[in-house]
Amino acid sequence: MKRLLSSLVAVLVALTFLANASLAGEVKVGVVLPMTGLVAAFGQSAWKGIKLAQSMEPKTKNGCKVKLILLDNKGMKVETANAVSKLITDNHVRAIIGAITSSDTMAGAPIAEKHHIPMITSSATNPLVTKGKKYISRACFIDPFQGAVAAKYARNKLHAKTAAVMIERDQDYSVGLAHAFIKAFKKLGGKIVAVEFFQSTDQDYSAQISDIKAKHPDIIYMPSYYQEIALFARQARQYGLKQPILAGDGAEAEALIKIGGKAVEGLTFTTHFDPHAAATPLTVKFIKLYEKKYGTPPDAMAALGADAYFILVQAINKAGGCNAKPEKINYYIRHTKNFKGVTGTITIDPKTGNAIKSAVIRKVKNGKFVYVTTVNP
Amino acid sequence: MKLDRNNILTALSIALFFLFVWWANHHLTSYAVRIWEDTLIFLMLSAGYNLINGVTGQFSLEPNGFVAIGAYVTAILILTPAQKESMFIIEPMVPWLANLHMSFLPALIIGGIVTAIVGFLLGFPVFRVRGDYLAIVTLGFGLTIRVVSNNTITITNGSLGLKGIPTYTNIWWCAVWVVIAMIVIMRIVDSAFGRAMKAIRDDEDAAIAMGINTLWMKQIAFVTAAFFEGVGGGLLASLITIISPTVFTFFLTFELLIIIVVGGLGSMTGTAIATVLVVWGSELLRVVEQPMNIFGLHIPGIPGMRMVVFSILLIVIMIFAREGIMGQKEFSWDWLFNKFKGKRA
Repeated sequence: MKRLLSSLVAVLVALTFLANASLAGEVKVGVVLPMTGLVAAFGQSAWKGIKLAQSMEPKTKNGCKVKLILLDNKGMKVETANAVSKLITDNHVRAIIGAITSSDTMAGAPIAEKHHIPMITSSATNPLVTKGKKYISRACFIDPFQGAVAAKYARNKLHAKTAAVMIERDQDYSVGLAHAFIKAFKKLGGKIVAVEFFQSTDQDYSAQISDIKAKHPDIIYMPSYYQEIALFARQARQYGLKQPILAGDGAEAEALIKIGGKAVEGLTFTTHFDPHAAATPLTVKFIKLYEKKYGTPPDAMAALGADAYFILVQAINKAGGCNAKPEKINYYIRHTKNFKGVTGTITIDPKTGNAIKSAVIRKVKNGKFVYVTTVNP
Repeated sequence: MKLDRNNILTALSIALFFLFVWWANHHLTSYAVRIWEDTLIFLMLSAGYNLINGVTGQFSLEPNGFVAIGAYVTAILILTPAQKESMFIIEPMVPWLANLHMSFLPALIIGGIVTAIVGFLLGFPVFRVRGDYLAIVTLGFGLTIRVVSNNTITITNGSLGLKGIPTYTNIWWCAVWVVIAMIVIMRIVDSAFGRAMKAIRDDEDAAIAMGINTLWMKQIAFVTAAFFEGVGGGLLASLITIISPTVFTFFLTFELLIIIVVGGLGSMTGTAIATVLVVWGSELLRVVEQPMNIFGLHIPGIPGMRMVVFSILLIVIMIFAREGIMGQKEFSWDWLFNKFKGKRA
């Protein structure tokens, strides 16, 4: 037993050295994603996108290889902070891509900020993520923008005068988006007639539905995730609530249509990306390669992950390629202008680190997601 | 306290521990320091948990609730009124809390005391049941705290949680609190209270027959555990700077449960060893998730691999050491000296 243990330790130690042995002429980039845990599906999607992006652009200016070091954060805050800390002080990365959710990103952000290492997140949409930070940027738009886009679409295109809002009380994503929608909808002259709350695991929405029915809103805004939206839609249609339902990017999953069936027909939602609204040459190329490699069209997480990678490599190139200093990389990430990425044209505001980019509106039609329109900032 | 050999040695080893902390703070990378901070906080949480679960033998599942209370109370007290105002976007915070602001030490202590009071009040109903039933009702408490923190929006900011908590926690805060917690808990274990608690663990009916007031003994263990878990929660909140109801799920309790079972129920020495093993283990095992080249063979990194390896390690430990690494034994100076003497003789 003892001999077995000591040989095991020896192998482990040897492996550590092998794993850490690095070649000259590479630029190390850390990636922190939830590869396991509750939000693993998002992390795995983003990783697919990032890996494909790397195969499309594996080298920086002067021929240095971009070496990605992936650490799993299990979708937990403590683990994210540990991972970011490890990447910076152990692996000496020059930049970090991650994390997926806003709250995880915020747990890692203070550490990147302290060590002056740029961190670019692909999909953390909470406005507080970059607030007051110099080294944190993002490749996606922020919640208030998405909420405002939905409000604008409801007011100007659907000509809705009144709206009911369904808020998933225990999801900060839902609360943030609903808050932004309500503010924008009121500003555009609309009226919020009902605000209903529910919880993640709720199965029965009859109380909220009967309340909404009595108020006769023109539309229902439900920024939530696909399971809840699908269940709500089914019950709402059953009880004769016929108003159009608007949602956020959380609705985007095949499961929405599987669970919702006919009830989600016509459901409209704001999101980051649509493969059919090929916006840039890079989009077309990315989708083609993605379908070839994985056999399915890329989802928003994959496209955003790829964009985070492309923006970062572009910044490394501008900062001097092989010898790019983190400070300079950060400067060029924040000065990204009209970058033709996978999800559209991206400009990053140097002051806030937030991406200024268009949003896409998609709709369920004949059991499929179809492109409706693109809303520019 | 007498100035005998054992006490002097204990004092010396505490001094040595602080020397290590000082050294670590200056010579280790900030990553290693951070993992040590995690380790120390978890040691404090699991030592408290072991007092109720291991020493007193009351199998309960509430620590995530206690940690959450401590974390929220501390975070609310150290956030500035301006921060709170900008954070509470759904509903404004209740005014008397919004304007409250104090430094870290009183905030931690108040966090601990509030948690202890909750623990005290909770003790009366839950200790009316024993065994599996106790586990179930305390599990219920852990879940309730999560629901409450989601719904008391004017106090906890609901699901949005509290963000941008000032980072006061450093390795010194953790080290000092761990030493205090360990001394207090060890003194309780070694006292008449401790013996009464162990009597309850071994046979509750016999303990009652011997005239032990079991409810009060359990309460002492529970309230002490609650206090240190509350303080630990406060340290954790200030370390990760952001808390929300999802941080304090049953998984936190589960992690602590693994630590105390692997270390040995009832053994603080075992808890210390197991905490280092679990916290450092899951970090060091990140190696197995990295892509590797072994003799020209390329193995791609498989995320989640470390959990597999870690689980196998735990299974091996539980097979070869049924009662955990230390069982119910404790490290003591007498034991060490006897061992030396035995060898010489």
